[in-house]
Amino acid sequence: MVVSVKSNDSAVDERANNLVRQARLAAAVFTQYSQEEVDKIVKAMTVAAIENAAMLALLAHEETRMGVTEDKILKNYVASEFFYNQIKHKKTVGIINEIPEANMVEISEPMGVILALAPVTNPTSTVIFKSIACAKTRNSVIFSPHLMAANSSNMAAKIVYEAALSAGAPKGFISWVEKSPRLRKETERMMVHPEVDLIFATGGTQMVKAAYSSGKPALGVGSGNTPVYVHKSAKVSSTAMDIIISKTFDNGTECPSEQSLVIDREIAEPLLSEFKRLGCYICSDEEVEKVTAVVIDPRTGGMNYRLVGQSANKVAEEAGLDVPEKTKIILCPMKGDIRHHKLAVEKLMPVLGYVIVDSVNEGINRALDINYAGGTGHTAGVFSEDDDVAERFAEAINAGRILVNSPTSIGGLGGVYNNLNTTLSFGCGTGGGNITSDNVGIKNLMNYKRVPRRKNFTYSFQTTKNIYVNPGSLDHLKGIEMKSAFVLTTTSAEKRGHLEMVLDRIPSDCRVSIYSGIGAEPDFEAIEKAVAAINAKGADTIIALGGGSVLDAAKIIRLLYDYPDADLKELSLNFFDFQDRMIEFPKHMKTKLVAIPTTSGTGSEVTPFAVVKDSKRHRKLSLVDESMLPEVAIIDANLTKTLPVEITRDTAFDALTHAIESLVSTFANDYTDGLALESMRLIFEALPEVLKDPENVVWRHKLHNAACLAGMAIGNASVGVNHALAHALGARFNIPHGRANSVFLLSTIAYNARIPSKFVAVSNYPVWIADKKYARAARFLGLIDSVDSKKDDPEAVKAAVDALLKAIADLARSTGQPMSVSELGVDLEEYKRAVPMMVAGTVEDMSIKTNPRYAMMDEFTQLFIESYPPREI
Amino acid sequence: MAKAKGKTEPVRILGSLDKGKDDVDRLVAASESDIILDFSACTFISVDGIEWLEELAIRAESKGMKVRFENIPPAIYKVFKISHIDCILKACGAPSTAIGPVC
Ligand SMILES: [Fe+2]
Repeated sequence: MVVSVKSNDSAVDERANNLVRQARLAAAVFTQYSQEEVDKIVKAMTVAAIENAAMLALLAHEETRMGVTEDKILKNYVASEFFYNQIKHKKTVGIINEIPEANMVEISEPMGVILALAPVTNPTSTVIFKSIACAKTRNSVIFSPHLMAANSSNMAAKIVYEAALSAGAPKGFISWVEKSPRLRKETERMMVHPEVDLIFATGGTQMVKAAYSSGKPALGVGSGNTPVYVHKSAKVSSTAMDIIISKTFDNGTECPSEQSLVIDREIAEPLLSEFKRLGCYICSDEEVEKVTAVVIDPRTGGMNYRLVGQSANKVAEEAGLDVPEKTKIILCPMKGDIRHHKLAVEKLMPVLGYVIVDSVNEGINRALDINYAGGTGHTAGVFSEDDDVAERFAEAINAGRILVNSPTSIGGLGGVYNNLNTTLSFGCGTGGGNITSDNVGIKNLMNYKRVPRRKNFTYSFQTTKNIYVNPGSLDHLKGIEMKSAFVLTTTSAEKRGHLEMVLDRIPSDCRVSIYSGIGAEPDFEAIEKAVAAINAKGADTIIALGGGSVLDAAKIIRLLYDYPDADLKELSLNFFDFQDRMIEFPKHMKTKLVAIPTTSGTGSEVTPFAVVKDSKRHRKLSLVDESMLPEVAIIDANLTKTLPVEITRDTAFDALTHAIESLVSTFANDYTDGLALESMRLIFEALPEVLKDPENVVWRHKLHNAACLAGMAIGNASVGVNHALAHALGARFNIPHGRANSVFLLSTIAYNARIPSKFVAVSNYPVWIADKKYARAARFLGLIDSVDSKKDDPEAVKAAVDALLKAIADLARSTGQPMSVSELGVDLEEYKRAVPMMVAGTVEDMSIKTNPRYAMMDEFTQLFIESYPPREI
Repeated sequence: MAKAKGKTEPVRILGSLDKGKDDVDRLVAASESDIILDFSACTFISVDGIEWLEELAIRAESKGMKVRFENIPPAIYKVFKISHIDCILKACGAPSTAIGPVC
């Protein structure tokens, strides 16, 4: 049946319109009902259905002449009592689900007007079930009964509707198409009616197809062809009894009922004998032919609808078989390739095919043959005491319900033999052309409104556990427990006498190995060499002595020493959310790391970052993880006294950039702000003094502290666009990191202080406040008179940001630090040519993830360009 | 409730609107000016209630009067939305749609 309504039958249209309008008003009114009101209605309907279960079963049997009245009574109970027990405590109004761990709730929204089809095989139970399900979910339902079962279906609808009305349900929320020759037309009209919201189809394949082709959302259910595998481990007596119960239930009208058995040879004889003993008839090959001739419609190859729900004796009589009275099932051995066997299809009557197999593999394969002969997505069964076999079967078969050691028909209904949802509508998934493989129920009759609250964002603050501070703090090395130390350093540290200072303080009973071959910017190869060295010597402690790159290298060397299988390239995978990353680092390092910085810049001694050069691919890999943090940092300014002026200045500007960028980072918080502000203050105060008197350990000490504080700030709040630009420039023109940072600083502060062209979409940064943060820094540094009441005025903020920019420019000028690219001796034309490549680098840089402004590519280009000419500030 | 000196007084719908209100019917019959229904105290509306409102609007229109609904609580407004009845939506101030509801 294809739905096409070109009917000019105005009577049909009018009736359809009336039904739909009534249902729509009821659906509208239903939205006002509370859970208590709904549950009261559902209860009243269930009671009425139970009171009328037998009467309705009789009526259905009389009208359809299908099935078994007693079984139809049970089905009416399943649709009412069993179903009620499953749903009575379920929430279907308001908040129906709270998911505190996801900070989310789900609220139900009714579907609206549902057009429900009822099949001839279950005319009353389906109506009872769907009515109760719709009431529970506050939907209106219009029933379109099968023409051959319209009286009983509509009677069922009327009974539950009247009970619902007395319990306060909205007028007209259940209605039905009256039995008439135009029933089908009216149904077709409603299937495409704009005011019908959902079609809930249970019935023949044609009806379900029509529902799906209507263009409306549809809950259709497919047809079945249930294979049942009986493994040799199955219990013969109970298997036979379960299958008999199931296949004879309502004379086999239930679509999940057994269609073909696949029996292990070892158990075939006893099982067939048991079937025979319990009143089943086993056909000879010639008899199978006769049965096939009446059971299968030769025109379609499908079952003969005339025999649906008829008794075994009736089928035998038609086939001309002489079988004992009250025969329960006619069992037909299927010879030859069952993929071509006419009986290997769905037969909703007490006729059961069977095939004998010699292994589990063969058993599952034959079951698949049945399954894929018109039953995908529907139902299957397995009898086996070996759970492994049951699992293998379930893994292979495509069915929405795979019943183990139980009847598939009553079992499939849910509630009686298992905890499946009670239903009379079996979703078959895509295998059956359906949207769901559920036992369709109230869950499928609601819209779910998810209401997620913003993610709760929690900060954690991580830093190096033991930080020893003050000139002379190197003495703390003496107290560190270690039996074998691997000292990682550079030749320059050796020359400056730092290595000796360290060796003097390592406990005398500690075995020491020294590796000073780590270059200025170590690459993979340099790291691998150092790892080979530590592997050869062994160590419980790594002492890293040097500048930022030595400290970074030590973190990676430790990682590879502790976890030789760690894959650096994988671990350096980029990420968007640094609090919830895809890759996982080892949780704990085994070897202790003592970091002793000899420059005041990176703060690497207190950060979880490590950068390594990938020389072959001309790029830098960044590793970030809490586990990378050293255990001990020693901040001893005696080690920076001899640092050349130029490096002192460059590294100080790196630290200053850390402080400034972490202050405005999207991850900045009260903890990092304090560190960043104080770091800035110390740099402004100490750097000029250090440059005047480089050997003055007191100012060196202040500068050393500033770098460490800024390190803690970026270790938790990270950096921003300035670092991304500096990384790209440094890589392309081989500019020291601190100097590369300083040439962009004035541009990036001005950039971040402007209202972003694009805001950053992260839950922990709800308000853009970068400009105010800069202003706060200006006040903290005493650059402006702070009038607290006016501090947030746009003009006051702008003046403060300008003051900060001027102070940085003054600091650079007074200390001789370049503030523009041109001052680095980079050729303008070469620089311009390099910009696109450098922009490509910045886009991939993890530093931009925490910038307070979502940086666009054209903005990167602009920042590169405007940072070239000398500054005029 | 009745109009006062040419100015229309809103009629308040109190509690549950589960059937027609005779006094409002009489008002429409007697009145020459527009009818305003105030829903601020309306707590529930039944199918009969909706149908009565629809009838009221149609009758008023046939007399050349307008019906206006005011202060409609969201739960009631949603009922009107789902009911999808043109004259009721118009009374809520919605522009008349070209296609219009089907029912
Ligand atoms: Fe840096």
